[in-house]
Amino acid sequence: MVYPIFSGSPMIQLYNVSKSYQKENSALKDISVQIGKGEFVYVTGASGAGKTTFLRLLYSAERATRGQILIDGQNISRISRLKIPYLRRKIGVVFQDYKLLNSRTVYENVAFALEAQGKKRYEVSKKVYKALKEVGLEHRLQRTPLELSGGEQQRIAIARALVVDPLILLADEPSGNLDQEVALEIMELFRQANARGTTVLLATHDHSLYHRFPRRVLTLEQGRLVKDHQPETL
Amino acid sequence: MLDKFSYFIRRALHNMRQWPFLCTASVLTMAVALASVATFFLVVMNIQLMATKWSEDLQVVAYLDRQPGTGQLGPLLDAVKQFPEVTAVKFVTKQEAMQRFRSRLGTESNLLDGVREDILPASLELSLRPEYRNRSGIEQVVKRLETHVDSNDIHYGQDWLERFETFVAVLKIVSQALGGFLLLAALFIVSNTIKLTLFARRDELEIMTLVGATLRFIKVPFLLEGALQGLLGGVLALALLSAIFNLFLSPVIQSFWLTPAGIELIFLNFNQQLLLVTAGVMLGIFGSLSSLRKLVQI
Repeated sequence: MVYPIFSGSPMIQLYNVSKSYQKENSALKDISVQIGKGEFVYVTGASGAGKTTFLRLLYSAERATRGQILIDGQNISRISRLKIPYLRRKIGVVFQDYKLLNSRTVYENVAFALEAQGKKRYEVSKKVYKALKEVGLEHRLQRTPLELSGGEQQRIAIARALVVDPLILLADEPSGNLDQEVALEIMELFRQANARGTTVLLATHDHSLYHRFPRRVLTLEQGRLVKDHQPETL
Repeated sequence: MLDKFSYFIRRALHNMRQWPFLCTASVLTMAVALASVATFFLVVMNIQLMATKWSEDLQVVAYLDRQPGTGQLGPLLDAVKQFPEVTAVKFVTKQEAMQRFRSRLGTESNLLDGVREDILPASLELSLRPEYRNRSGIEQVVKRLETHVDSNDIHYGQDWLERFETFVAVLKIVSQALGGFLLLAALFIVSNTIKLTLFARRDELEIMTLVGATLRFIKVPFLLEGALQGLLGGVLALALLSAIFNLFLSPVIQSFWLTPAGIELIFLNFNQQLLLVTAGVMLGIFGSLSSLRKLVQI
C-alpha cells in the first residue's frame, strides 16, 4: 500500500498510469503519485523495475497506455506532438551515458539547449558561461567531451539541463558510470539546483545515495509503485 | 526572423565543416548520379539531332510518264509549290536525269554510250517541311501529287522511311525506359546516402528533440544543408558532364560511321544546365526531408 506523503502545490501528478509495450507485458502498472514543486525525489528499484519508463513518460518520450499525467498543471497524456518541444523546455534531462555531442565543444553542447529554444546569441553566451561556472567547468569551454573525464562530461550534461532554468530536472542513473567520489560531486549539483527551486527526480538503484542525501523515495518493483517513503539518514 | 534564418545558415555551414566526410560523400554521390542521368540524356539528345539531320535528306520524287510541255510546266510547279507540306520543288528533265546517271557511274559512264538521251523519265523532286517528314505526311503529299501529275511511280524511299520511323520509335521507348530507370536508381542511391549520413548523426537529432527543439528548428538546418550539398553536387555534375562531353562523348559520336559529316553536336543549353543544378538542389532537399521524417521522432 502506498501512502501519499506529499502536501503542497503539485508539479507532477500521475493518476492510474500504466504503460505496456506488449499486451501481456506492462512496464508500469497503475501508478498514482504526486510530486510537489521544489521537491527532491528518488525513483528507485532493481533493473527493469520501470524507473526509466517512469521518467520517459514525464518528458513525453513515451505515451502512457492508460491514466493521466499532469506536469505543472498541464495534462500531457494526450499532448499533441507539436506541443511536446514546449513541454520539454520546462524539463531538463540527464542520462547515465551523458548524451553529449562529441563533435562539438563544451560550450556548443550547453549552448545547444538554448539555441534549440531560439534564444538570442548574447543571451546564450551569458547563460552558458553561468551554467558552466555552476558546475565548475567554465575553464573547459573549448574542449570537446572526449577530452574530459566521465565526471566532467556528466557535469556538462547537467549544465546543459540546467542552463534553460527548467522547472523539473530528471536524471536517469546520472552517477551509474561514475565512481563514488564523483557521484557525490554530481549529487551536490542536483542538491544545489533543488535548493534554487527546481523539482528534481533522480532514478537510481544506488541505495547509498539516498541514505547519504535522504529525500523522498519512490520504490518501483516490476512496474508497480510499492513504496513511497522518507528514509532515515545513515 | 532574420536572426533565426542566419542561425540556420550558420548551423548548416558549421555542420558541413564538422562532418567533412559525410558531406563529401553526399555531394559526390549526387554529382555522379546527376552526371550519369544527364550524360544519358545528352547522348539521346544528340542521337535525336542526328536523326533529324538524316530526315532532312528525305524527298518525294515523282517520275512523270510524260514530260510536260513548256506551257504546262510553270502552272504545275506553281501548283505543287502551293502544297502546305512542300518547301521546294525541282523539275528534273530527261536530259538532266541522264547526266546525273552518268556522273554517278563515274569512270564507267561509257556504258551509257549509244543509249538514247531521253530514256530516263523526267521527274519532280519535292523537299518537305520538317513536320511532314514522316509516313503520314508523305502519304498526304503523294495523294495530292496524284491529282496533278501523270505518274505511275512516286518514290520516297518507303523501306528507308519505315526503318527510320521504327528506329526513332525504339529510340524514344528505350530512352524513356532507360532514362526513367536511371533516374530512379539515382534517386534511390542519393536518398540512401543522405539517409546514411543522417543516421550517423542520429544522436544529434535525438538530443535536439530532448532539449525542446521544434521539428522546424531541427529540420531546417538539415534541409538547408541538403540544398547546399545538392547545389554543389549539381555544379560538380555540370563540370563532370562538360568533361565527359568534350573528352569522350564528342569524339566518339563524331567518329561514329552513321554520323552525318559536319554535324555540330549539342551540349545542354543554359536552361537545361540550370535545370540540372536545380535538380541537385531538389534532390538534396527531398532526400533529406524523407530521411528526416523517419529519423526525427518527437
